[in-house]
Amino acid sequence: MKVSRPPAGLRETLQCACTPRPAVFNRQRAFEIRPRRFTTAPIPQASGGRFAAAPVRFPQQRENRNFQQDDDIGGADAVGPKDLFYARLVPASRSYFTAQPIFTDDLLSLQHLVAKYANLPTVKPGEQPRVSWRGLAEYRDQVGESVKASKYQKIVKLLARLNQIHPSLVPADVQEAINEYRRDIDVFKNVRRPAPVDGMGRTLGAGRRKSATARAWLVEGNGEVLVNGKTLVEAFGRVHDRESVIWALKATNRIDKYNVWGLSQGGGTTGQAEALTLAIGKALMAHEPALKPALRRAGVLTRDPKRVERKKPGKEKARKMPAWVKR
Amino acid sequence: MILRNIALRHGRRALAPPLRKSFLRSLTTDTLTQDSISVEESIGQQQTSAYSHELPINPLHFSNPNNATRAKEGVKENYFLTKHLKKRTAKLGAVVEPVYVPDTFVRNPPKPEDVTLELLLASQSHLGHSTSLWNPANQRYIFGIRQGVHIISLEETAAHLRRAAKVVEGVAYHGGLILFVGTRAGQSSAVVKAAELAKGCHLFERWIPGTITNGDQLLAKCDLKVVDKDDTEITSGFETKVEEWTALKPDLVVCLNPLENYIMLHECGLNNIPTMGIIDTDADPTWVTYPIPANDDSIRCIQVIAGVLGRAGEEGQKKRLEAARTGTVTWLPPPGLGRPEVGGEAEKASFAAKSAQSTVVQGNSEASPVFTRQIGDSPEL
Repeated sequence: MKVSRPPAGLRETLQCACTPRPAVFNRQRAFEIRPRRFTTAPIPQASGGRFAAAPVRFPQQRENRNFQQDDDIGGADAVGPKDLFYARLVPASRSYFTAQPIFTDDLLSLQHLVAKYANLPTVKPGEQPRVSWRGLAEYRDQVGESVKASKYQKIVKLLARLNQIHPSLVPADVQEAINEYRRDIDVFKNVRRPAPVDGMGRTLGAGRRKSATARAWLVEGNGEVLVNGKTLVEAFGRVHDRESVIWALKATNRIDKYNVWGLSQGGGTTGQAEALTLAIGKALMAHEPALKPALRRAGVLTRDPKRVERKKPGKEKARKMPAWVKR
Repeated sequence: MILRNIALRHGRRALAPPLRKSFLRSLTTDTLTQDSISVEESIGQQQTSAYSHELPINPLHFSNPNNATRAKEGVKENYFLTKHLKKRTAKLGAVVEPVYVPDTFVRNPPKPEDVTLELLLASQSHLGHSTSLWNPANQRYIFGIRQGVHIISLEETAAHLRRAAKVVEGVAYHGGLILFVGTRAGQSSAVVKAAELAKGCHLFERWIPGTITNGDQLLAKCDLKVVDKDDTEITSGFETKVEEWTALKPDLVVCLNPLENYIMLHECGLNNIPTMGIIDTDADPTWVTYPIPANDDSIRCIQVIAGVLGRAGEEGQKKRLEAARTGTVTWLPPPGLGRPEVGGEAEKASFAAKSAQSTVVQGNSEASPVFTRQIGDSPEL
């Protein structure tokens, strides 16, 4: 390829402005280039031309042209480098180019804290004070950046590590960081009040199953059960139903410790029996709160949400299709 | 009973090794009965409660209150006692030979003049990639082949690293904004440290495409500040201009993993921003302005190179501030920034804001004198 070369005066300028080094780079051309210096060393001439280039000297002319229009206050006649007001713009945060500077700075400061106090003794997992941290939405509102959930999770992880530090040795700055991310209300103080035992020693529980509802009063006694004024055998014909009514007591070996007086209405026998299960379970938990895990395992504290499925158009019942006729 | 059933039932117990004595037990004179009892109870509970609805109480979850308080009292004293003992006994005994501490280059990075071939070799900067993966453009940086792997010439690495350090120093000296980018796992600490030293910016997560070419949209919410020649923030007079100012662009980008950041390097190319990057034998050296041939897969090598460049930036900043103190300003203000606004509405607005502030915070009236002094000083420069 033949390339026409620009005149000697333009060559250097063009080379600086664009283009990588030309393919043919002969020695003669190399000597034409004026040496430039970018070094910041105080005595540039000491090593005699071994530097790549001369120091950058900003031309007087350019300064005037650029800043004349801005110096209205100083007056148009008084221009020059002496009248420059030296101010420049820099990012407020080192994380400027992450586009989420506040979040990134928060993350880095927490990482710094974790690294700084990595050697402090920690408590066993599960023994640290329970803290509920601010949610993602709240944090987003606070910083005004669209932080992803996975990124906020990093902050929460670091906070959990800080929270592991032994309570007797928590430094002030760690405590400050934890308080900053702690929710204003302590959700762990919000515990459900246990159902009261009335003056006669009775506790009331309520339960539902299918479309039946039931209430049950439990009092310490010798194992008598009355449902709607009838004994268990009279109230429920099926043995399975009888067993499910007193399942809460049976599972905890307390059949002969309590008397039950129950009321149930609505639905069928199964629904009424299992509604009573739930009611008796809750009433028993009011007497002995420590039984909660056992009752939970026995399945007598959970409301069964299943209901009759609605009928759909085009179907006989909820799912049943009409009989298919060939012709 | 059938004989093979006996083997099935009792074989495991018969063949099991004798119970080992706890090593801890031989060391300590304290009784461990409480712990072992609670553990055994816990196991027993597990077995009994697996198939019954009896109340399962795990004794491990309900630690002995006496134990807990004793532990709480002891931890703090033990910690300080250990610290004290360590301090007292640190100089006793044999001298440990110099050992490699993983974060030593992050805590105290080497300076450009500390770069030696030994350091580069020790930090594995000579290891390239398999010869089948090479980019022939890197031929001039390659020393040879060993066991099917290209070896990068350490002399080239050192020379290019020193040149890059000079460039970083020069950019910092002239008040440029340096951006350190390392988006691979494990590079973040080195990147953050380098940016901290060079007073630049850091990026250790994904580069958002368009941060340079579409910065006004992406960086609109990121704050800017105005500083004077001594890097002191000018708090009043530029509010309106800073609000309207376009997003900043870096004046130099240092990329520790160019392979993953092609888009960023391309944006820099579109905006005439010089870049420097660590070029392994499989990377294209023409993507960056100042290649540094080295191993970009070694965290240790990354830490050395980022640390050296960070130190160079630190040196440049130091020289710039030194020059500013003696009256030489090495940079020009950006065109259009001008002087802080005084008089008229701007002053009224700032006065109103200041009076509002002073009602909240008592005795915060220093902003105004500082501001006038700067104006008075500037003609002397």
